[in-house]
Amino acid sequence: MSVEFDLSPSTPINLSKAIVLVVETTTHAADILGQILKGFGIAESHRTTSIREAAELVKHKTFDLILIDPDVEDGAGYNFVRTLRTGMVEPNCFAPVILMSGHPRVSRVKRARDTGANYFISKPLAPNVLLQRILWVARDKRPFVEAGGYVGPDRRFKFEGLPPGSDGRRSSDIKDPLGEASEPNMSQDDIDNFMKPQRVSL
Amino acid sequence: MSVVRRFRPENRLAKMLQAPGGVSIGVALHNASAALESIRESCMQALDQKLAVLANMAARPENASRDEAMYLIANEIFSESGSFGLSELSAAAYSLCTLLDSGDRTPTRAATIRVHIDSMRALRHPDMAGDQSARAAVLEGLRDLTARLVEPLLTEESTT
Repeated sequence: MSVEFDLSPSTPINLSKAIVLVVETTTHAADILGQILKGFGIAESHRTTSIREAAELVKHKTFDLILIDPDVEDGAGYNFVRTLRTGMVEPNCFAPVILMSGHPRVSRVKRARDTGANYFISKPLAPNVLLQRILWVARDKRPFVEAGGYVGPDRRFKFEGLPPGSDGRRSSDIKDPLGEASEPNMSQDDIDNFMKPQRVSL
Repeated sequence: MSVVRRFRPENRLAKMLQAPGGVSIGVALHNASAALESIRESCMQALDQKLAVLANMAARPENASRDEAMYLIANEIFSESGSFGLSELSAAAYSLCTLLDSGDRTPTRAATIRVHIDSMRALRHPDMAGDQSARAAVLEGLRDLTARLVEPLLTEESTT
């Protein structure tokens, strides 16, 4: 998945017509997010701390982006996103969804991936991180997949290297560009030997 | 065998972003920080109230519902304080969340919770809570305390 887009301060963005749904755990958290979105130029954001109200809103309004803390109402946010996707009520079932979670509960981490959300952000929210992610989901080229109980963006990411200008965070990230091969390719026998179980005598 | 359907729904957000008008990314980020700053005072008052509630709860007898309520408040403090640059308070709240979510029931748990809350109240006003190295040492201590209680539980989980 390519993340190569221009995030320089002079790049123009127009979010003035975007209609955003914010589902947060507290009114203060919703206010924080609402203020950040206002700063981005988003004129219409609907904020709620109630899943029932959020479900009503998606029935009657078309949203261009949904930002939700899945832990709202004791984890009901996960089901809300899953139901939104699997309900297949267009166009909101295809709206980009960003999950924003606070402390990751051990029991809930695995659920996030299967909701059908486009992206997951860890709180605390900072304007630059949120804007990056909004731009990312806007340019997300992954197809939607409907398979078994899952509906949402394809969960398989194609790794296309580190984002430009980044050194990576993992010790296994290769920091320098790869050059041309300096030795001949290995033979198939050499490769097979890597996988071949061998008896070891101690 | 289930049927897999792949399709590309319209992405309205992408079209909007490129429409004429709007603002530059630099201006958008500046405006967002300014808008956030305009609610700082009310959010700080809310944080103070949450810290007071947390301290009252910690004084009550331990049980699962008390711990759940404390976890939720600590999680709110973690998220909300971090958005206003109180990163040390946020980190201390995160450590408390980890502790409360762990299911640890050792005798030192109550004292560890109290130490976390006292530290969080101090870190709410970082300028009055010692210099940066002292605050970093407090955070390191909290993380160590939590890790000492939580890590054995994680090891136990992975071996069962």
